[in-house]
Amino acid sequence: MAFIEVSGQQIEVDEDGFLLNPDTWTEDVAKYFCKEEGIDELNDDHWKVIKYLRDYFFQFGIAPMVRKLCKDTGFSLKGIYELFPTGPAKGACKLAGLPKPTGCV
Amino acid sequence: MADIRPQDIGKPSEQLSKIENLMSLPAPYDKPGMEPGFKPLKDSWKDDYCTTLDGFVGNEALQRPKTKEEEEAFVQGFLRGLEKLFSNETNRNYLQPFLLSFEYCAKCNTCSEACHVYKASGEQEIYRPIFRSEVLRKIAKKHMKGDGFWTRFNGGDIDINVETILRLGELAYRCNLCRRCAQTCPLGLDNGLLAREIRKIFSMELGIAPKPLHEKGSMLQLKTGSSTGITREAFLDMMEFMEEDLYERTGKKYKVPIDKKGADILLTHNAGEFMAWPENPAAFTILFEEAGLNWTLSSEMIGYDNVNYGLFYDDAQTRKIGLQQVKAAKDLGVRRIVVAECGHAHKAAMVSIDRALVGEDNIPRESFLPLLLDVMKKGVYKLDPKRNNFPVTLHDPCNIVRMMGVIQPQREIIKMVAPQFREMYPHGAKNFCCGGGSGFAIMNSFNFPDFRNKVSSRMKFKQILEAFQGVMEDDAPKYVCAPCSNCKGAIRDILEYYQATAKFNVHYGGLVELVVNAMVQFDKPFLEFLDEEEWIAEHVNK
Repeated sequence: MAFIEVSGQQIEVDEDGFLLNPDTWTEDVAKYFCKEEGIDELNDDHWKVIKYLRDYFFQFGIAPMVRKLCKDTGFSLKGIYELFPTGPAKGACKLAGLPKPTGCV
Repeated sequence: MADIRPQDIGKPSEQLSKIENLMSLPAPYDKPGMEPGFKPLKDSWKDDYCTTLDGFVGNEALQRPKTKEEEEAFVQGFLRGLEKLFSNETNRNYLQPFLLSFEYCAKCNTCSEACHVYKASGEQEIYRPIFRSEVLRKIAKKHMKGDGFWTRFNGGDIDINVETILRLGELAYRCNLCRRCAQTCPLGLDNGLLAREIRKIFSMELGIAPKPLHEKGSMLQLKTGSSTGITREAFLDMMEFMEEDLYERTGKKYKVPIDKKGADILLTHNAGEFMAWPENPAAFTILFEEAGLNWTLSSEMIGYDNVNYGLFYDDAQTRKIGLQQVKAAKDLGVRRIVVAECGHAHKAAMVSIDRALVGEDNIPRESFLPLLLDVMKKGVYKLDPKRNNFPVTLHDPCNIVRMMGVIQPQREIIKMVAPQFREMYPHGAKNFCCGGGSGFAIMNSFNFPDFRNKVSSRMKFKQILEAFQGVMEDDAPKYVCAPCSNCKGAIRDILEYYQATAKFNVHYGGLVELVVNAMVQFDKPFLEFLDEEEWIAEHVNK
């Protein structure tokens, strides 16, 4: 299995670099993933999306529907792509430390 | 690299086959620079995975044995699984079709001409439908008849080593199981079925199957209720959200019936729709409610996810999930299950699971297509096809057309709502796979998406471009209608990969969304890629 090193901690990730365990996430993990997901610096809008994703995940055990994410955070899908160029699933979920989306999505 | 033969699969080399000349694409993708190149293979993958077949890694569970002992156990495990394919005790449901396809190939290669992967790859030998079947035949002959002169002369000429088995394990995932080859074979052989039998050896005997299909697919579905990980609570939350969203979009309050005992119809969706394309189950809600059908969704275990990934790789998984889906219907006491826009579920729920259902378990199961057509023919919805006044083409999901023969209803429906409909060629039972079939659409590890977007989905992209020749470079939106979640995923990825949406305004989606978009009772377009103001000015405030 692969590991990434963030602030001196070894954190386990899958083949595509998603965290295996969302509990191992810290804000530094999000910062660590920025570059590979095409983000220069995390601003308040990024954090708003990340926080929303994590709250939803810990309530329901799954990432929210993209449409719900947009509505509840107030960003359009285009806006989400502007924040996370690799998209809500590949980019935003990864930064938020959620597991890689599964199923026909 | 011409003339690679099946027996070469056991000869060690850095890479057995390499794609050099891909099938060319029509305008505007006939110019250089329109298509991204293959991403290079990473050295770090070589030690752990099988990169030696064609330089793609699709099956991350297929890991290179590290020691001599592990190698030996791996090869012996494969051979043990192979033996089980030939026994009535261990392969009862598939033994007969397996043997019929295993024994009698005349090697006429008619199947190769029918295979989109072979053609799109620039006719690479290893992607011929019979190449992997021949490897299997050779291994079986040598293993069962011994390594004598007569065996070698009679097709058993192959080295059975770790490289052979690893490469075959990857090669089993270079076929979409679309069975276009089976349809064309003069002897009626089914090389798609053989590819799946090979997958079964790896999965059922060695526990090796791509993670998105097995660990994060069937196993997750058995644990949480859905391969997406949607639990009952999450499902109920999503439906509540969908109702609110529908109200905002249509101005009308729709209630989604959930767990309604004794309903006529249990409607089942691919749960991926809820996550990625909620407008599709939303459109179904509108259509079923406006028609006054007595229907329900189920929130019971697996009752809200009609996929059955076992169909791609493992009989035991298929059975477990299929039976649970029927149980959800039985518990509700519905008269029938109607399968929504998922081609895979059409085959899984209606055809493949049939042998496992006996007596009262065998609840009638049907496609939504004839039902929707019937309702539309009765004139239940007031439709204005001009609301969909843009070019539309239809992708036929293999499982709906080729496997089940449901071909005309979707055409009659689409012609009632899309004045600029144009067919792809070929279509209907002779369609080409989207390139995402048999799990490819959700296998995204390593560089496998490159294989899908550039090779297995290439024929579909070519057909889409051909269907839109003449209007491709117009500003107007174009719509690829794909009534299947899996196909939509594959088509979404090619439109993104080739930037067809960004550059040429090509969109994709399901069939029911088009129908709802044509309903005159609504004051806003249902399809969100349409320019809302323009559309309202033209169709509502005219």
